[in-house]
Amino acid sequence: MSNAEEKTVKARKDDEMAAIVVAGSIVAFFAVYWFFQIQSVRELLEMAYG
Amino acid sequence: MSSTTNPNTEHAPSFGSYPRTTIAVISLALLLAFSFSSLRGDTWVGLLSFFEWMETTWFGYVGKTWGGAFALIQAAHLVSLGVLGGAVLFSDGRLLGLFSSLPIRDVVDGAHRVFVWALAVVVGTGVFMVCGVAVKVYYLPVFWYKMLTLAVGVLFALFIRKPLVDREISEVNPKIVKLVAVASIMVWFTVAATGRWIGFS
Repeated sequence: MSNAEEKTVKARKDDEMAAIVVAGSIVAFFAVYWFFQIQSVRELLEMAYG
Repeated sequence: MSSTTNPNTEHAPSFGSYPRTTIAVISLALLLAFSFSSLRGDTWVGLLSFFEWMETTWFGYVGKTWGGAFALIQAAHLVSLGVLGGAVLFSDGRLLGLFSSLPIRDVVDGAHRVFVWALAVVVGTGVFMVCGVAVKVYYLPVFWYKMLTLAVGVLFALFIRKPLVDREISEVNPKIVKLVAVASIMVWFTVAATGRWIGFS
C-alpha cells in the first residue's frame, strides 16, 4: 500500500472512530434522557388517574 | 543543509494518528467536567447580565412591544425548523436505507445545503425571539437543554457527520453510517422537542 493510500485509510478510520465515540454517546445519552422523561409522564398520569 | 524530510512524519497530525477521535474524546470529557462542576453554575450566574442586556436591545424592544412582529418571526423560526427537520430526515433516512432509488450522494449533498440555510434562519430568528423574553428563558432549564442540544447538533453535523459522509459512503462501515444517522435524528428531534417545550414552560 502506498503512503498516500495508507494516509487515506488512516484518516477514514479516524473519522469512523470519532463517529462511533460521539454518535454512541449521543444515542446513549438521549435514550436515557427520553426514557426518564417518558417514565415521569407515566408516573404523573398514574397519580392523576390511578 | 539537507532539506530531506521523513515522508512518514512530514504531515504528522498534532494529536497522534487519530486527531479527530482525540479531539472528540477530549471535548466529551470537557463537556462532562463542565456539567458536573461548579463552573456550570458560575457561568449561568455570569450570563444573567447578558440576558438582561438582550431585552434592552432593539430586537428585545420590538419583540416585547409588537406581538405581530414576534409572531411573524416565530412563524419563520418554525417553518425553517421544519425545513431543517425535513433535510435531516431525508438525508439520514437515505443513510438508513430508505429512498433507495435515489442516488445517495445527491441526497446527502443536497440535503446538507438545505440544512445549512435552514440552520442559519433558525439561529437568526431564534436570537430575535430570545431577545423578547430573555430573562424569562434564562430561568427555564429546558432553554439551556435546547441550547446544549443545538450546540451538540451543530458540532456533530459539521465536524463528525459531514467529514464521514463526504467520503465514498460505500467504503465506510455501514453500521457506523447507520449509527451516525440515528444519532443525528435523535439530536434534531430533541432540539425541536425542547424548543416546543419552552413554549409550554
